[in-house]
Amino acid sequence: MIVTLVVVAAVVVLALTAAVAWREHRHFVDAEESRRRDDELHRRQEDEVVESETRLRLSLDAITQGVVMADPDGNVLYRNPYAQPFIEARHGEALVEAAVAELLAEAARGRAVEREVELFGPPRQCLFVSAMPLRFEGRDYGSVALIDDITEPQRLDAMRRDFVANISHELRTPMGALSLLAETLAGETDPDVVSRLAVRVQAEAIRLSDIMDDLLELSRIESNEASEQAPVAIQHVISEALARVKPSAEDKEVPIETVLPALDLVVRADRRQLTSAVFNLLDNAVKYSEANQPVRVTTRMEGDWVKVEVRDQGYGIPQGHQERIFERFYQVDRSRGRSDGGVGLGLAIVRHVATNHGGEVRVESAVGEGSAFTLALPVSDDEPVEQEDSQDLQPIGVQA
Amino acid sequence: MGELRKSFHEELDEIQAGIVRMAALVTEAVPRATEALLESNLEMAQQLITADDELDDLSVYLEERCHHVLALQAPMASDLRALSSALRLNAELERSGDLAVNIAKATRRIYGTRYDATLRGLLVRMSEEACRLMRLAIDSYVDGNAGLAAALDDIDDQLDGLNRDCVQAVFQAHNDGAIDLQAAVQLCLISRYYERIGDHAVNIGERVVYMVTGWLPEHTGSARMKIREQYHLDETGEGTDKETDVETDEE
Repeated sequence: MIVTLVVVAAVVVLALTAAVAWREHRHFVDAEESRRRDDELHRRQEDEVVESETRLRLSLDAITQGVVMADPDGNVLYRNPYAQPFIEARHGEALVEAAVAELLAEAARGRAVEREVELFGPPRQCLFVSAMPLRFEGRDYGSVALIDDITEPQRLDAMRRDFVANISHELRTPMGALSLLAETLAGETDPDVVSRLAVRVQAEAIRLSDIMDDLLELSRIESNEASEQAPVAIQHVISEALARVKPSAEDKEVPIETVLPALDLVVRADRRQLTSAVFNLLDNAVKYSEANQPVRVTTRMEGDWVKVEVRDQGYGIPQGHQERIFERFYQVDRSRGRSDGGVGLGLAIVRHVATNHGGEVRVESAVGEGSAFTLALPVSDDEPVEQEDSQDLQPIGVQA
Repeated sequence: MGELRKSFHEELDEIQAGIVRMAALVTEAVPRATEALLESNLEMAQQLITADDELDDLSVYLEERCHHVLALQAPMASDLRALSSALRLNAELERSGDLAVNIAKATRRIYGTRYDATLRGLLVRMSEEACRLMRLAIDSYVDGNAGLAAALDDIDDQLDGLNRDCVQAVFQAHNDGAIDLQAAVQLCLISRYYERIGDHAVNIGERVVYMVTGWLPEHTGSARMKIREQYHLDETGEGTDKETDVETDEE
């Protein structure tokens, strides 16, 4: 009996011990499981933070605006690739970096600030630097500076302002003259004076009409409306332009030396537009040359390009103006341009014609040595389409 | 010690950045001065005169910073040369900035003068050439390029030639009655200012050579003088030491 009781007690003790051990084991397994789950959660949260930060960083890297972030003590924490060159800059652009540092320091004191940094280069640039504090729910996260290149918007704005000012001026001058002449005519009885004044009225009217024609031509070329491109022999285009410029060249005694290209050199072009472009280049060369300073027109083929070069030995264009001469109404020396009868639309026409034909126009010039304008157009393999008037266009009386 | 050296080199980097910034102010001031001159833009001339204060302020700051580092860190060898060169470059750049201001002031004195194409072209080319020299000088400084720095003296010949042409063109314009005497004198001075900016760039180049190699062109003259003195002493029988380790490196 006693033995039985002892055995039962032992079994009970063993069972209890096993139950306790099992429970402890379960606790241990559960705790392990919970820790593992927590770790997993942390890792996932960390991954999400890293992922989100990477995404933000990549987005900031991609934008075309300089971004520089600093902590509250002013130490730079992040700089996107656009802002990178400024820190390594040695010349004018070093001033942008100095402006960024100064504005970040200012922004760290809690004030949003901005500054325009104009660089004369070359190239000429205008950068807009702004900085602001990063504050959220009363906490200071430092400051951020942004760098914007506003060179192009500023240039366009200046162009627009110049255009409006110029067009008003160019139209008002002959209109004013016409009005005065008409007023004088009204009270004039002497037939000689009347006829003299009438000639001047006519001259002013022609001037006004020329400006309008140029403007309309430019507008047509700019919109590229009704442009009919066909294979054209470049020789015909040059001959036509030469014929148009001949009277003024003879007037100024500016000899034009021409090397006419072969007839089979063909480009696909709107003949009217192209002639207008070559004529404008020739007209400018004649306008800005003195008597006996020759203008030379050469045409050559380079790879897939036909290049028409008009070179003069005239006044030349200062470096600083060369970027702007293709703008409408832009003139290097306004007093001279006006006295020569130009309003500054010619090169704008040339540039648009070049663009419409998938080509380009370039200038090389030095003051006192002259200028060379090169109009490059893609060559065409087609046979030229003969037009009615092209039959009569033989190389005109210029030296080859 | 390591920490100290790190801080010392950070100081040197900051001083170098300051010198680069000064040079940037100069290379930006020169074309502005030229534009103010050619366009008779008095507002721009005044802005330039005022803006020189920033250069002066930076110059004083950098000089104090150099003295501070010299006093506290007592650098030696190349570190000492880098600091003493920075002090010298600082002075050269500050002076170059003053020359740009001189051009701006001359603009006011000859306000309204019209320049013919030749003069205009020469002035623009001188301005561009002076800036190019200054940029090359700073490139040689940042890169520690002694070859480029030593070549600046020869590169400067072009600016010297332009200066001669410009003075000639000014005389011609005055002879032709295109400009009055006051304008002619001022234009000759302006031409000289550009040429002097080029000279300062050459001086910077010499200092860069010294910073990198420890050699200065003046060393040749100094060595020559020492030899002469020694030779003179020998002739009078007073000197006995004929051994000399001074080398002459006459170009």
